[in-house]
Amino acid sequence: MTLDEDQVLIKRTLRGERKAYEELMRKYEKKIFSFVIRMVRNEDVAVDLTQDFFFKIYTVMDKYNFEYKFSTWAYRICYNLVIDHIRKNQAQVDSLDDDSVSPRDLAASENVSREDGFKNLAQEETRDYVWRVVDQIPLKFRELILLRYIQDLKYEEIAAITSLPVGTVKNRIFKAKELLKQEMEKDGMLA
Amino acid sequence: MACLPNDTLIAYNEDSLGAIEASQARDHLLVCPDCRRSAAAFRALDSILASPSLHTPPARLIPQVMQRLYPATARYTSIFAAMAASLVFLVTWIYIYFDFSRSSLIQALQLTANGTSGWLANIIKAISVVYNAAQAGYKAGQALLNILLPARLGPAVIVGMVLLFSGLLLFALLRPRLKKAHQRKS
Repeated sequence: MTLDEDQVLIKRTLRGERKAYEELMRKYEKKIFSFVIRMVRNEDVAVDLTQDFFFKIYTVMDKYNFEYKFSTWAYRICYNLVIDHIRKNQAQVDSLDDDSVSPRDLAASENVSREDGFKNLAQEETRDYVWRVVDQIPLKFRELILLRYIQDLKYEEIAAITSLPVGTVKNRIFKAKELLKQEMEKDGMLA
Repeated sequence: MACLPNDTLIAYNEDSLGAIEASQARDHLLVCPDCRRSAAAFRALDSILASPSLHTPPARLIPQVMQRLYPATARYTSIFAAMAASLVFLVTWIYIYFDFSRSSLIQALQLTANGTSGWLANIIKAISVVYNAAQAGYKAGQALLNILLPARLGPAVIVGMVLLFSGLLLFALLRPRLKKAHQRKS
């Protein structure tokens, strides 16, 4: 069996090479941290959860099955860790099932620019704006958008990570895009 | 003609429609400016989402994980090394303090060896050699300790070493529980 880059690092880590695990963490830290911080919306909590994630991955690494992609396995662990945290601290974040609050209402409570239309914003600002709106949409849509675009996963992989049917994953991502488009239209970006 | 639903437009942009549906959507887009605008909007959104701005974690993140993963073992090693050292020192000190060199056991063995032959004699001779070396070490150690520590401090040293050893042993045994309790608390 041919091992990919991640799997080689895992083998080396399992042999006791500290540098290999450090390398693996460096490779994933930005994506994992970005996913976690956008899920929990609190930097200190995101740092703790990311550290817990890397600690957990290390402690269960001997259970990793080399027939599967490391990233999917790792993201599943990360997803469960974050969801567990959110469920335990629901008062601090929006409910997993709460889709009654419009992104516009939520965005209004943040520092999302209302005056500038997207047309007038530079590309970097447009991106920041859209991602800030993503941060405000209900968690059940946000988590899938993050897995799709931050972790760059396919619908099938997202379904495996979240234990949702592929059809549900697709529908929710489509719905999330509709919500985001509505926001962009309201801001005149797509007028 | 009714406009295409959003999910059809999104699926069309993602190339995930079946051949017939895709063809129908393409035909509709040719004649419907509203749907063309919507499809373009979804494409724009997709391209923005596809290039996310990633958050850079604080620099301390990985070093702290490494510290949590690896020095834990090193700390344990140092605890056990300290325990071993205190035990060796304790045994040596007891040996010296009670002057076990006067024990006649080895001398008796040596005398037995002199009157024996074959493998038993060889074993006893080997024990004697080790004993002689240990005794030489003991004498050197005793001389050194006599200089460093007055003999009257003997019991205090023994009690001190017993306490040190017990403390380290207790710490090594309780440390995992304390750590877990701390993690639960935090």
